[in-house]
Amino acid sequence: MSGSPLSRFEMVIGLEVHAQLRTESKLFSSAKVSFGDAPNHNVEPVCLALPGVLPVLNRRAVECAILAGLATHCTVHTRSVFARKHYFYPDLPKGYQISQFELPIATGGWIDIQVGADAEAVTKRIGLTRIHMEEDAGKSIHDDAVAGSDATLVDLNRAGVPLVEIVSEPDLRSPAEAGAYLRTLRSILRYIDVSDADMEKGNFRCDANVSLRPIGREEFGTRTELKNLNSFRFVEAAILAEARRQASILADGGEIQQATMAYDAATDRTRVLRLKEDAHDYRYFPDPDLIPLEIGAGEIEEFRRALPELADEKCLRFQAQYGLSEYDALQLSEDRALGDYFEAAVENHGAAKTVANWMLRDVLKALGELEVEIGDSKLTPEAFARLLELVDSGTITAKSGQGLVSDLVRAGGDPTALVSERGLEAVSDAGVLAAAVDEVLAEYPENIEKFRAGETKVLNFLMGQVMRRTQGKADPNAVRELLAERLEG
Amino acid sequence: MPSPLGTLAELRSALDAGTTSSQELVAQALERAEALKGGLNCFMGLRADAAREEALAADARRKRGEVRSRVDGVPVAIKDNMVQTGEPTTCASRILTGFVSPYTSTAVQRLVDAGAVVIGRTNMDEFAMGSSTEHSAIGPCHNPWDPTRTAGGSSGGSAAAVAAGIVPFALGSDTGGSIRQPASLCGVTGIKPTYGRVSRWGLVAFASSLDQIGVLARTAEDCASVLEIISGHDPRDSTSIPEPAPVYRDALERGIEDIVIGLPREYFAPEGADPAVLATVCAAVEELERAGARTREITLPHTRYGIATYYLIADAEASSNLARYDGVRYGLRARGTVGLTEMYERTRSEGFGDEVKRRIVLGTYVLSAGYYDAYYRKAQQVRTLLRGDFEQAFHGCDVIATPTAPEVAFRLGEKTADPLSMYLSDVYTVSASLAGIPGLSLPCGFHDGMPIGLQLLGPAMGEAAPLRVAAAYQRSTAHHENRAPETV
Amino acid sequence: MPRITRAEVHRVARLARLSLSDAEADRMTTDLDHILEYVETLQDLDTEGIEPTAHAIPLKTPMRSDRATPGLDPALAVRNAPEALETAFVVPKVIEGEEEG
Repeated sequence: MSGSPLSRFEMVIGLEVHAQLRTESKLFSSAKVSFGDAPNHNVEPVCLALPGVLPVLNRRAVECAILAGLATHCTVHTRSVFARKHYFYPDLPKGYQISQFELPIATGGWIDIQVGADAEAVTKRIGLTRIHMEEDAGKSIHDDAVAGSDATLVDLNRAGVPLVEIVSEPDLRSPAEAGAYLRTLRSILRYIDVSDADMEKGNFRCDANVSLRPIGREEFGTRTELKNLNSFRFVEAAILAEARRQASILADGGEIQQATMAYDAATDRTRVLRLKEDAHDYRYFPDPDLIPLEIGAGEIEEFRRALPELADEKCLRFQAQYGLSEYDALQLSEDRALGDYFEAAVENHGAAKTVANWMLRDVLKALGELEVEIGDSKLTPEAFARLLELVDSGTITAKSGQGLVSDLVRAGGDPTALVSERGLEAVSDAGVLAAAVDEVLAEYPENIEKFRAGETKVLNFLMGQVMRRTQGKADPNAVRELLAERLEG
Repeated sequence: MPSPLGTLAELRSALDAGTTSSQELVAQALERAEALKGGLNCFMGLRADAAREEALAADARRKRGEVRSRVDGVPVAIKDNMVQTGEPTTCASRILTGFVSPYTSTAVQRLVDAGAVVIGRTNMDEFAMGSSTEHSAIGPCHNPWDPTRTAGGSSGGSAAAVAAGIVPFALGSDTGGSIRQPASLCGVTGIKPTYGRVSRWGLVAFASSLDQIGVLARTAEDCASVLEIISGHDPRDSTSIPEPAPVYRDALERGIEDIVIGLPREYFAPEGADPAVLATVCAAVEELERAGARTREITLPHTRYGIATYYLIADAEASSNLARYDGVRYGLRARGTVGLTEMYERTRSEGFGDEVKRRIVLGTYVLSAGYYDAYYRKAQQVRTLLRGDFEQAFHGCDVIATPTAPEVAFRLGEKTADPLSMYLSDVYTVSASLAGIPGLSLPCGFHDGMPIGLQLLGPAMGEAAPLRVAAAYQRSTAHHENRAPETV
Repeated sequence: MPRITRAEVHRVARLARLSLSDAEADRMTTDLDHILEYVETLQDLDTEGIEPTAHAIPLKTPMRSDRATPGLDPALAVRNAPEALETAFVVPKVIEGEEEG
C-alpha cells in the first residue's frame, strides 16, 4: 500500500510481555503448575481464595526473575515489594492480583535486536523499563455449547502460576522490530531456563502499545493497546493494521482515542474492545500478607556469575572463534541447544564452516519437517560429524549425504552403516561414469549443439541428468570433467 | 441447667485426679450452651456429635496414659472466623452462608492436636468489624452480667462463653481490641499476643497487618497455657515470627519486684473515660505496687491519633480482603440477576451488613487514586510514630498499664446509630495493635455491677512480662473469680 | 463543606461492587463524612521523612522451596460453589459493554 497515510508517520511501539516461569509449583502456593488438566484439578485453598488463606513466596520463581533481570542487563533491586492490584473478574479469585507496582524486582535494562536481513542487518538496542513478578489469573471458558449462552465456566488451575511481566521502552519503530524483539526476548528466556516462552502454548503473551507521530516530531502521539495477540505473526500484523487505522484517522484530521483494541485476523483489522476514558483504578497498595522481598547484593552477584553465556555473546564468539558470518552465527546462537550441538559437532569434525552450512541448510530443515527440536534429534553431534566426514572423503556425494540427514534425525543410526545398507557409496569408477554421461548425451543430442553454440548453462542441465541416472552417487566433479570433455569434443 | 465450668487449671486437675471425665465436661459444656442460647446468643452453632466423639477418644487416651497436653479432653469454643475442616464458618455474615471449609486453621489444629474438644463456634461482629457483637447475622450477643448490655466485640461470643462458664477458655481474634475489650466488658482475662506470634493461616482476614488470634480464659495462667499451644512459627504464614512457641508458664510464679510499670498520662486523662473506670484501674495499679512493682508516668504522645490511624489502615485492608466474597466459588450468590456485574453487586449488597459495607466503602475510598497518599500512606507514617512511642516508652518500663475500655459495657443499641462513637470505644486498645505489641486485659473491679478491665501491654515479643504481672495480680486479688449471675 | 459527596459514595461503591439504595447512600455519605472529618486530624502531624510502616514486626522475607503438593480433590474444590458444572465454576456471562474491573 504505497502512498498511504501511514507513510507520513513514524510508528512508536512498546511491548508488554508476560512470560510464565518454569517452576514446579505456583508463585504463592504449592499447587502444581501444569497444563491441559481438567478444570480445578491443580488447586489448593490458596488458589481458590478461600477465607483465611495466605501467600508464601516461591524461591525458584524469585531466582527466575533475578536471572531474567540480569540477562537483560537490568538493575536487579535488593528490595522490591509485592502489591495488590484490585479488580473484579471471575478468573481473579481474590478480587486482586498479587503483583509488583512501585518497587519492581528489576528496572532499566536493554536487549539488542537484529533489524533487517543478511547483509543489511543492523543492531538496535531496545530499552526495558522494568521487569516485575506477578501471579497469573485463571481461565474463563466461554463455551456456549457447554455452559449455555448466558454462562461462563471458570477454571482456576492457572490461577497463581508465576509470571514475569517485561515492559519495553517505546523504542520499537516497526512491526518487524517488534517481531525481532519478541524472538530475541524468547531466546533469552529459554537460554536461561526461566520460561518455555511458547506463544502457542500461552506461556508467552504479548500486548502491544502503538502510537504514531508525524515524522520528525519528538512528542509521542496517543497510544492504544493491542491485546490477546497469539503469535508473532499476529503481533506484527496487528501492529501494522492498527498503525494503518490510526494513520487514516490522523490523516483526516481526527484524534486517536485511548482504547484497548483486539485484532481480527480474518479481516486484518483492529477494533475497539473498550475505550479508556478512565484509567482503571487498581487501588495498588503493598500486600500486608507478604514481607518486602530483600535480596542481598552478594546473592545477585552470584546469580550474575552463574548466568550461562547468552545468545549475543555466543554470536560474537562464534564469529571470532569459528570464523562464521554474522548471519550464520546469529542463527546458530539463537537457540542454546542448537549452539551447543554445533560446538559438539565441530569438536568432532573440525571444519566449523562445513558444520554450520549443513546444520543451517539440512539439519534445521529436517527438524522443521519433523516438527521436533534439536534436543529431540536422534542424530548425535558425533554421528553428524561422521556423516560430514563421509562426504568430505568422497565416500558419498554431498547429495547423498543430504538425503540421509532427515532419516538420521528421525531415527538415529550410524551413517557409515546406513551408507553400506543403502549402497550409497559414490560412484567414481570412470567406466560407470563415462557410461552414464554417454547415455545422457545420447538422450539429449541437441544440447551438444547448444553448448558448442555458446549456451554453456546446458552443462548444468546435463549434469543434473547424469546425477539422476546415478541416483546422486556420481562424484559431481568427475561428471563435470567428463561432460566438458565430451561437449568440447 | 448444669453448673458453670471451672478454670482450665481446675478442670485439668480434676481430669488428672479422675474426679471428672472429658465426656462429662463436654456434656456439661454443651448442655449449658444450649440452656443459655436464648439468653446470651453467644454461639453461632454447636458441633455436639463430633464433640462427644472427641471427648470419648480423649478419655480413652487418658486411660491409656497418653495424655497429650494441659488441654487434652477439655472443651473449648472458637470464634466463627477460624476455619476447621468439615465445619461451617460464617464470620457471622450472610455472605458466607453454607461455606464449609476443606482445611483447618493452624491455631485450631494445634489445639485439636493437643486434644482440646471444640464444642462450637462463637458469635462475633460480622467479619470482626465492631466493638459490640451487635453487627452479627444472628443478632447480638448479650453480656452475661447484664443481658441488656453488649458483650463487647468483636469476640463478644467468646468472651461471653467464658464469662458464663460454658467453656474454660475460648479462642478469639484481636485487630484493634477485639479480644481485650470484650474481655474487659465481660470480666474475663484475654490476651492478644505480639503480631506474628500466632499463625493467621485459616483466620479469616479482616486487617492483615493487625489481626491476631488470642485467648480468652478466666486467668492469666490459663491464657498462658493455651497461648503456648497455639503459638509458634508457621511456614504457611509469611508474617509469622520465625521462632517456636515460647514457654510462658514457668515465669508466672515469679514475683514482680523487678517490674517497672509505665502509666501513660494520655490514657488516664479524666475526660477520656468514665471516672469510675479510671478510679478502679488506678486502684488496681496501687495493688500492683503493693505486690512490689514500681510505677512511673510515661508519655505516648501520639495516642490521640490512634483511632484515625487504625480505621484508615484497617478498613483499607479490609476492603481488599473482602473483595473475594463475590458469589463465585462459595457462599451466598444472589438469585435472579442478569449478567456478572449485577450478580456481584447484589450478592455483596445482600450478603454484607451495614457496618461491613460502610468500612468497605471507606477502605476503597482511601486506597483509590488520588486519596492513597493523603489517607493510607499518611496513616502508615503515623503508625511508625505510634510504634516509636512504645519503643521509646519501653526503654524505661517493662509493662504499660492502662484501662482497657473507657466505660463498662454499654447498652444494646446505644452506639449503633453513630458508627464513630462505636469506634471511639477502642481508644485504649488500637495503638497496641498498630504497634504490633502484645496486650492483655484482666478484671480489676466493678461499677454498677459491670466488670472493668485493666490492660497490660508488653514490648514486641514480650508476652511474658504482662502475663507475669497479671498472674501476680490474680494471686493477690479475686476479681477474676467473680461469676456472672445465673439469672440469665 | 462536605468531605465526600453522594455521587462519590456511589462511585466508590461501584468500584467495590456494592449497590446502594438512595437511602443507604445518604446514610453512608453522612457517616463517612463524619469519619473523614475525624481522620483529618492526621494532617496536623508532620510526617516528612517518616517511613510508612511496612510491617509492625520486622521480618526477613520467608520463601518456600519449589515443590508441588497434590491439590484438593477437585470435587471438594467446587463443593461450596453456588453453581458448578462438573469441576468448573459457573458464573453469569459478562454482558457486552460491561466494564472489567
